[in-house]
Amino acid sequence: MEEQLVTFLLGQEEFAIDIMRVHEIIKIPAITKVPRSSRYIEGVINLRGNVVPVVSLNERFGTQKAGDSHNSRIIVLQIDGKTVGIIVDQVTEVLRLDDSNIEPPPALAGNIDAGFIRGVGKVGNRLVVLLAVDRILEGEKLTNYA
Amino acid sequence: MEYLDSLKDIKQRIKDLPEQALTGERVPGLLAELAVLLHTFDAGLSQDPTTLSELNSFVNKRQSLDAMSRHVLVGLIDKLLTSMHEVVSASPDLQQVDMGEEQAAAALLDTNNGFDSKELLGFFLQEANEQVEKLTDGLLELEKSGPRQDLVNELFRNVHTLKGSSGTMGFMSIVRITHLAEDLLDKLRQGNCAVSSQLIDLLLNVTDRVRSIIANIQDGGTGNLEVADLVSRLENFNDSEPTGTPNAVLDEETYVVYRLSAEEIATLSADVPENRKMFEISVRFVTDALMPSVRAMMIMRRLQDIGQVLRTVPSNEDLHIENKLEFYIVLATDQQEKIIRDKVMQVADVQEVSIWEFCRNTAENPAVKPVAKPIMAAIPAATVPVNDQTGGNGFKNQTIRVPAERLDDLLNLVGEMVIARTRLVVVGDELKHNLPQDHGVAALTETNVYLGRLMNELQESVMAMRMVPVGQVFSRFPRLVRDIARKTGKDIDLVLSGEETELDKTIIEAIGDPLMHIVRNAIDHGVETPEERIASGKTPKGTVRMEAFHEGSHIVLTVSDDGHGINLQRVKEKAVANGLIEPGTEVSEKDLADIIFLPGFSTAEQVTDISGRGVGMDVVKKSLVNIGGLIEIVTAQGKGTSFIIRLPLTLAIIQALLVEVGGEIYAVPLASVLETLRVVNEDIKSVGGQPVIQLRGNTLPLISLQKYFDLPQITSEEDVAYVIVVGFGEKRLGLIVDGLKGQQEIVIKSLGDLLANVSGFSGATIGGDGKVTLILDVGSLISDTLASNGARGVV
Repeated sequence: MEEQLVTFLLGQEEFAIDIMRVHEIIKIPAITKVPRSSRYIEGVINLRGNVVPVVSLNERFGTQKAGDSHNSRIIVLQIDGKTVGIIVDQVTEVLRLDDSNIEPPPALAGNIDAGFIRGVGKVGNRLVVLLAVDRILEGEKLTNYA
Repeated sequence: MEYLDSLKDIKQRIKDLPEQALTGERVPGLLAELAVLLHTFDAGLSQDPTTLSELNSFVNKRQSLDAMSRHVLVGLIDKLLTSMHEVVSASPDLQQVDMGEEQAAAALLDTNNGFDSKELLGFFLQEANEQVEKLTDGLLELEKSGPRQDLVNELFRNVHTLKGSSGTMGFMSIVRITHLAEDLLDKLRQGNCAVSSQLIDLLLNVTDRVRSIIANIQDGGTGNLEVADLVSRLENFNDSEPTGTPNAVLDEETYVVYRLSAEEIATLSADVPENRKMFEISVRFVTDALMPSVRAMMIMRRLQDIGQVLRTVPSNEDLHIENKLEFYIVLATDQQEKIIRDKVMQVADVQEVSIWEFCRNTAENPAVKPVAKPIMAAIPAATVPVNDQTGGNGFKNQTIRVPAERLDDLLNLVGEMVIARTRLVVVGDELKHNLPQDHGVAALTETNVYLGRLMNELQESVMAMRMVPVGQVFSRFPRLVRDIARKTGKDIDLVLSGEETELDKTIIEAIGDPLMHIVRNAIDHGVETPEERIASGKTPKGTVRMEAFHEGSHIVLTVSDDGHGINLQRVKEKAVANGLIEPGTEVSEKDLADIIFLPGFSTAEQVTDISGRGVGMDVVKKSLVNIGGLIEIVTAQGKGTSFIIRLPLTLAIIQALLVEVGGEIYAVPLASVLETLRVVNEDIKSVGGQPVIQLRGNTLPLISLQKYFDLPQITSEEDVAYVIVVGFGEKRLGLIVDGLKGQQEIVIKSLGDLLANVSGFSGATIGGDGKVTLILDVGSLISDTLASNGARGVV
């Protein structure tokens, strides 16, 4: 079995998402902050007339945000039937990865909760972290900070 | 599907013909075979009537083929096969139950179009839901009114229709229980059984079960839920005058022998013009006929073209479930017997037609044989006449059914247009500013204004389309009240009024649960038991009243009971015990009553399974607030309690005041804005950490949105602040903002599930610049601010 993945950078680390989950990739439009929401929520954007929440994965995973935001994008995903955007520092490529090149998540994954990781893919000498998309919004309610 | 196979077979044979045989003698035979096969097809089997008719005309004209035409022919057959294959494979159910026959027939007869099994299922679900609703209402009515023949007949018809359409779709579990329910109703109708609460309970159980089966189907299930328990209860149901268990056998004999009695002829001929002859026609289909009931309907339709179909056996409504091979029609026509015969024979699978003409003078009618007694004797004649059937076409009252999503889509589009127009106005204003003299710009502005007017009208009509009578929500309450009353041993009369009052669909959907909760509470905690009522000098029967009416731009819903009212003393004690108010403080009755809306507050001494499940009135309030509603309580000790709910007429597009705070723009629904003030900073005083101002002698609590939302402070040279005074019910609050940006019509968009719990915002809208603007939730701002002050009466 082969998977087709979209890879992207958060800080220095490379991550990947199953391409079937990706709705579209857009440049970052004006984001409206939502006061009193969770810090993971960057705000909401207007995506062709729909109000779509945007999540900052850097906040979520504690990764370092890239200094240069020129290449930043929002990857619009369908999670649990809901449309959600995630902000990434750079979208790198679309690649095919054979199952045999995917290893189970490591027991320790630095800052990132192992629950968010579906596996680690080997692409040549690079390592990409395969994200468990459905888990990104799980666990912690993204609201109620008040 | 054997027809599919035959078609494939013929196609193969045509393909296999050697080139030189194309003009040979085998071809006409093959073509004829194909023609016959096509004839037995009907549009119901294929989704592609065009191809079918193309094929038909292709085949009819030819006696020979050539390479080219063979190619075309095979192509057409392939196309047809694909479309049929889709139909057959799309719904495995269809194969088992011989397709949705009623609909197939309807499609055949009315539009000659194919039908879509998914659409068919949707149709079924809608129809079944309606029947279940009607049944529930009717049963409750029956319990109230006692045995009423017309009502019982109506119920019988509902059950019958339900059984019929379920049978058609192959949902046999529904058929099994509705069949038995039908038997019970039949006993009732014939006076062999009394209207008892047990009977009504049992029949209501049937409707519940059907409802859950439908829900299962709706969720993509097979609908094959277990019904054995209910079946045995239905079969063993014994009333005061036992008449033996109903017979559960579904199918009667396949062959029907049926002739009219003299009296029936007299009745039937009463309305037939003198110059018309009357015929009894008996049709028998071949034993392996495909869908005899569809054939029967086709025959009926054809005969209607030449005369008047007075009666059919099985009756038209039974046709689609009976699937009998024998079919019987009484026809009044001025045509000859031969014409009738030809018409009937045009339909495929007819084996035999017998036609008798008879005199209207029944005494000398030779055709009347005193044979069997009418099979349908159980159904009163009134339900049989063919004229009754036009109702099924759905065009009664000149209304059409439109799926709710389409209305939502339409509303969304209108919303988009409103936004686009807002931008257009912004652009126009800029242009006007830059080119004040330009004629084109002036024309643009003018057009903009006109467009705005049109948009308003469009908006109003779309809104009007979405209005739904409150009765749709109210209708579930008679049942609910009955059940709770029975459970709690109370005797309650539910009085509904204003059911025709209309509200936006979204609001209607949202108020069901809160209302249910209030009504539950009213019965469980409000109304006393009959003994208690008698002891306090009231009638033993309590009343719960639900009303709906217009009040300005709002709709008011009230739920009132004549129970013992809320014990405010106990509310106070509890509030003190929970630390909600400090002991010894004076709290007005009104504020005390409002305490029950605070989270986690319940005065019920015992938790029952009816109310008091931990979901409190705070949830009720929250869900009402979410849709822009307000709720108030009026209670009088010993006399009862009323809940008064005020709801906006519509949700989707509202007028809003745009305000600026900390560099952000927010929208405040204009409906909750009472006034705007310009306040010198030194007038803002602090009372116990709460900023307030004096407004016309009253203390108005304030909230700084900049602090509340943790926004950057924008320093201003001026020593003034703007205060938006908002009201929610009788509560007032001033919002301190940096500036006012004007008033605008906004389209409300949901923030989505992810942000649904963020307090302070009720939604979002998209501004003229394309950026998202958040809409302030005045209700939660007020309750947050005032709740943090406890119930100290700072209102």
